[in-house]
Amino acid sequence: MDYVLNTAQAEEVLRALKKDYCIYAPKRFPKEGRFSDTDIIRYDSVENVSEIVWDTKSDYPAKEVINPIQETILYFTEDEFRESKGPKKPILILARPCDINAQHIQAKIFSGNGGYEDFYYQRVRELVKFAMMECNGGDDTCFCVSMGTNRTDDYSLALKFSEEGVKVHVTDESFQFYFEGMPDTSYTPMFVEENELKVKIPDLSDKDVRRALKKHPMWKEFDGRCTSCGSCTVACSTCTCFTTRDVVYGDNPEVGERRRVTASCQVEGFDQMAGQKEMRSTPADRMRFKVLHKFYDYKARFGDSHMCVGCGRCTHRCPEMISISATVNKMNHAVEEIKAGMEQ
Amino acid sequence: MNQDINIKKLRINCFRQSKVPGQFMLQMRVPGGFIDSSYLTVIEHIARTWGDGNFHFGTRQTFDITGIPYENVPAVNAYLEDYIKEVDAKLCQVDMDTVSHEPQEWNPKSGYPTIGARNITACIGNYHCICGNCNTYELARKIEPIIFPSHYHIKINIAGCPNDCNKAHLCDFGIIGVARMVYHPERCIGCGACARTCEKASTRVLKLNEDTGKIEKDACCCIGCGECVRACPTSAWTREPTKYYRVILGGRTGRQTPRTGKMFLNWATEDVILSVLSNWQKFSAWVMDYKPEYLHGGHLIDRAGYKKFKEIILDGVTLNPQCLVAEDIFWDETEYRSNFNVKPLTMHQAAGPAE
Repeated sequence: MDYVLNTAQAEEVLRALKKDYCIYAPKRFPKEGRFSDTDIIRYDSVENVSEIVWDTKSDYPAKEVINPIQETILYFTEDEFRESKGPKKPILILARPCDINAQHIQAKIFSGNGGYEDFYYQRVRELVKFAMMECNGGDDTCFCVSMGTNRTDDYSLALKFSEEGVKVHVTDESFQFYFEGMPDTSYTPMFVEENELKVKIPDLSDKDVRRALKKHPMWKEFDGRCTSCGSCTVACSTCTCFTTRDVVYGDNPEVGERRRVTASCQVEGFDQMAGQKEMRSTPADRMRFKVLHKFYDYKARFGDSHMCVGCGRCTHRCPEMISISATVNKMNHAVEEIKAGMEQ
Repeated sequence: MNQDINIKKLRINCFRQSKVPGQFMLQMRVPGGFIDSSYLTVIEHIARTWGDGNFHFGTRQTFDITGIPYENVPAVNAYLEDYIKEVDAKLCQVDMDTVSHEPQEWNPKSGYPTIGARNITACIGNYHCICGNCNTYELARKIEPIIFPSHYHIKINIAGCPNDCNKAHLCDFGIIGVARMVYHPERCIGCGACARTCEKASTRVLKLNEDTGKIEKDACCCIGCGECVRACPTSAWTREPTKYYRVILGGRTGRQTPRTGKMFLNWATEDVILSVLSNWQKFSAWVMDYKPEYLHGGHLIDRAGYKKFKEIILDGVTLNPQCLVAEDIFWDETEYRSNFNVKPLTMHQAAGPAE
């Protein structure tokens, strides 16, 4: 069934939904941006429909709901521990198709990798249903169509927001109840079919090409430009890396908690091993690793898609104005150059 | 050249005497140094019609038009009517029919009525700058009607952040935009970027606690620059939405006793800044026995003493709870002549109303 709700009706439905679901959506945090008098849009629990930011892409991805920047996973006392309780109430996340597709990638890494399911990811993920926010086309950093992440059918509700209210397409029968008595309509969700920005991913199936690309001078540029701050990976819809940190309470090291905290392959020290050895010790090395992970390694391992969903948040958040799409295009040129050299 | 010109009167009218006899340089106010670019045609018109065709960026961000012959002054003043009405009366809501807060009718054809309160300068601030913590030109436009027109002298410089590109440290009343930071530990990944930036670019008040992976702050030495917010990859540091200001008092250049200003107020809100400045006339008038002289504000504080200044300038001001005030200020002047201040008692300047 499809419904058309005015603002008041939408608020009424949200109130009813909130009895059974924790509802998360992009929300504006005024003046919390990197620069003075700029805002941040990030996911948070919403109380009202009016709080939902539907016309602008969020700065931070939907993954923060399922896979937060910091999460306590267990509490310990001497030789005993107990896991943190985790959420109990079902979760409804309002997300664009890129963010929904990103969760399929996160699920692969957390729970489809090495025959082991990540308990802490899974216990939240199993409570999650998506309300797909029809994308209004994103912005000039978006390239979901190039990455094949512009469409999804993984949603219980599809929502098309406007100034007047919201159109709803219900696919999950269990949600029908919340819309009883609301005016119906005919609404078919639409997907972005073309982005202004198009990205061509180079074919890196040849091992010699990959080896030459690793050594290619194109990466050197990032030694001068990238500051290894990690803004890109924190803003990434799919990055999953975390570190584990034990924090003791006060002066008693026998009592404390274990936290999972987001980590970034771009931050110095990420891959430091015993003896202080770092595998990737320069910004250029770290950038190359990230780009190849997103546009080669992941797909080589899992097969179906690249890890990047083309949401463009890394470009948007980069304080040094490094564009991921421009970088991939540079990689394309480098690969063409390498292949041409090999043919000679 | 034989002309009878009252150059002091022209100076008050914002025309500066030239080394070329009979020529003057007009100084046009641009509060906050920020204005619609269409006014550049106004500058060009004045320079080409009545001046020598040249233009100088005034050191206090005025539009300075050189080589205006004395006989052209009335025509220039008449032409300035629109500019003064648009920029000062309309944009800054200045009441042109007052001088030093007292009613005094302004003849719109007569140009600028006073030179005392000098053009308020500002860096570009957060309108453009990635470091700026406040909108400097908007603040300048709010201050303009408080200090202008007036025969009492004050130089105000506004800097958007503690980097102080606009030299708030070198004027009577320097205003620096500062931010009070909020730490969101639940968003902190312990990367230490803020601590490294604070060490390199600011006052080294942040430290990454390796045991907790969180940041510890020596809050009393934080200067409110906001570099930590810029450095943070996760928005774990944000600025409080309220804008705060630091006031640097009594800085100056000059032949006799140049000195860097010192902190008078810290973490003052805009309301506090505006209400403090509204006492400026009262303080100046008191020091000079209600007879304005061509003397800058910092010298008046010297005459009255900081504590008297503080008493008058804070009269009726409600400070925001975060605001700190200097109990005393010890300036450090450059004395080109040692013991400059040691002289016969009869040479000492008095402050306050005559008996």
